[in-house]
Order: sequence, then C-alpha cells, then structure tokens
Amino acid sequence: MSAHLSAQEISEWAAGMRPREREDHLHECAECRSELTRLQGALSEFRDSVRGWSAEQGSYPRPAWLTERPRVSHWLRWALVAAAMLALVAIPVYRSRLQPQRAETDIDDAVLMEQIDDGISRSVPATMEPLTGLVSWNSADASAPHAKSRQKKP
Amino acid sequence: MEPVAATGFLTAALDRSAAELENFDAVVRLHWPTVFRFALASLRDRDAAETVTQDCFVKAWRNRAGFRGHAAVKTWIMHIAVNTVRDHLRNRRLRFWKRTTAQALDLHAAGERVADERPSTEAHLLRTERVRAIWEASAVLSEKQRTAFLLRFVEDMDLLDIAAAMGLKEGTVKVHLFRAVQSVRERLGGIA
Repeated sequence: MSAHLSAQEISEWAAGMRPREREDHLHECAECRSELTRLQGALSEFRDSVRGWSAEQGSYPRPAWLTERPRVSHWLRWALVAAAMLALVAIPVYRSRLQPQRAETDIDDAVLMEQIDDGISRSVPATMEPLTGLVSWNSADASAPHAKSRQKKP
Repeated sequence: MEPVAATGFLTAALDRSAAELENFDAVVRLHWPTVFRFALASLRDRDAAETVTQDCFVKAWRNRAGFRGHAAVKTWIMHIAVNTVRDHLRNRRLRFWKRTTAQALDLHAAGERVADERPSTEAHLLRTERVRAIWEASAVLSEKQRTAFLLRFVEDMDLLDIAAAMGLKEGTVKVHLFRAVQSVRERLGGIA
C-alpha cells in the first residue's frame, strides 16, 4: 500500500480532483478513508446548518409580483420617455408663444413707467411749489430786469 | 440511425428544458429556496438575500426568451443568481460598515443552526464548533472560492453545473474549490 494521502491530496479529492490511484488508495486505507469521512461529515453539517438557517428565515416567492413588476416598469419606462419627449417639444413651442406677449408687456411697462415718472417728477421741492406761480425761472423777460438790477447794485 | 436518435434525444431534452419555463410561476416556486439560500449564505443578510432573490427572478423573467435549453433551468437560474450576488457585493463594498455588522450578527446566528438530533452535550458542542469554523472560513474566502464552495457543498451541484453557473471552466472551478477546502480544513484544525 502506498503512503497515506497528504492533507493537500485529501482537499483535492474533496474538491473533485480524483485520480484513479487515489481512489484505489482510499479503498485500501481505512485511515485515509476515515480522514476523508470526517471532512465530509463536517461539510454535511455545514450544509444542514445553512439549509436550516435559510428555512428559518422564511422567504417565499411572490409570483404575481414577479410576473407583473417587469410589465409595470416596462410601461412606466415608456411613459417616462414619452413625457420627456413631450416636454422637449412643448417647452420651445410654449416659449415661442410667450415671446410676443412678453415684448408687448415690456412696451406697456415702459410707457407706464414714463407716465409715472412724468407724474411724480418735480422741478422744485414740494414746499417751494407755491413760489413757482410768482416766479417764472424760464422767462427771459422776467429775468432780465433782475439781472440788470443785480449788475447795477455793486 | 444512431446519430438521428441521439439528435432526437438532444432536441427533446432541449425542448423539455425550454418547456419548463412556460410555467414561470412553477419555476419560481421550485427554485426560490435554492436562490435565496445561496444569496443568504453569500451575503449573510436576510434583506439583501431577499432583494437579490427577487432581482434574480425578475432578470430570469425578462431574459426567458433567451433561454435555449442548453443547460438545466436550475443551472441557468443559478448563473443569474451568481451574477446578481456578485453585483450586489460590488455595490456593497461602498458600505463596508454594514457588511461588517451583518457578518458579526449572522455568524453567531448561523453557527447555532446545527441539526439537532439530541446527541451528547459534548458532541453537540463539537458539531457547533465545526459549523461555526466553516462559517468563519467561508466568510474570508475570495468571492469565487466561496461561490464554488457554496454551490458544491450546500447546493450539491456537480462540477460541470457549477462551471456553467459561474461561467468558468471545470478545471478552474476545481482549483477554486481546492483552495476553499484547504482554507476550511485549516480553520477546522483538530476539531474535524
């Protein structure tokens, strides 16, 4: 009988690397068979543990949701695409319609502002406004004698 | 006449596999526990496993037209599951803190899950210790090693099916499995 299988050879066997001579050896050697059985036993315990734990979590399928969800998202996707396309077309059209209206409004606003400016603008302060009736600052006739008298005084 | 018979057999097998998908609800009911278990063992997070399982079947539903029956339905579903888990893990790397917390909780809970046939206390403790050691060892395996390990030793899939599910060659799967088993044996030490 050949020497016992090494730790690496046992691992290789468990991983599915199974040359004929190792199979023969395992048939003959109780010690190596026992070593392999212990490893396989531990792996089986692990499998049972995972399966038990998974079953305990209680996850169950929802077929109706599964089969409907893709369809819903499919339609939703197309609806979003359609909405985006509509927005791309509608926004420039809406803007071009607004343009003349906005120009008219701007003109109206400008006229209104001028009227307001005219209405509230004053050439003299409000307290001096009564004096403007007595003195005409723009009149050349009215201002000439004063100017002459001012010139004569010194 | 033999090749014709063989071709006929193959065609019938392909048709059978493809026909299995006709009743998709039955496929979901049949394979849901396997996918969920694989996702749970890979991610160690119940909510994430549930999400991944749902995503897996949604992807399967969307791509069912592309299934030609060249593999068993289970292998095809597991291929989608492996990819979905992998994508989830990649996204989760950004949230490493959550992973750490989930693993710490789940290792404890999972280690306690040992088939209880009421053996002696000592035997029960040894078994719990062994299972916990394998859980811990599998937690630090590389993604591919862990996937191959879980598919082989939890789902009992054969090497060719694992290769198909992982999109690898059979020889590569053996190498990943060998490394995984080596790590597990090292962790088990004298308790196996």
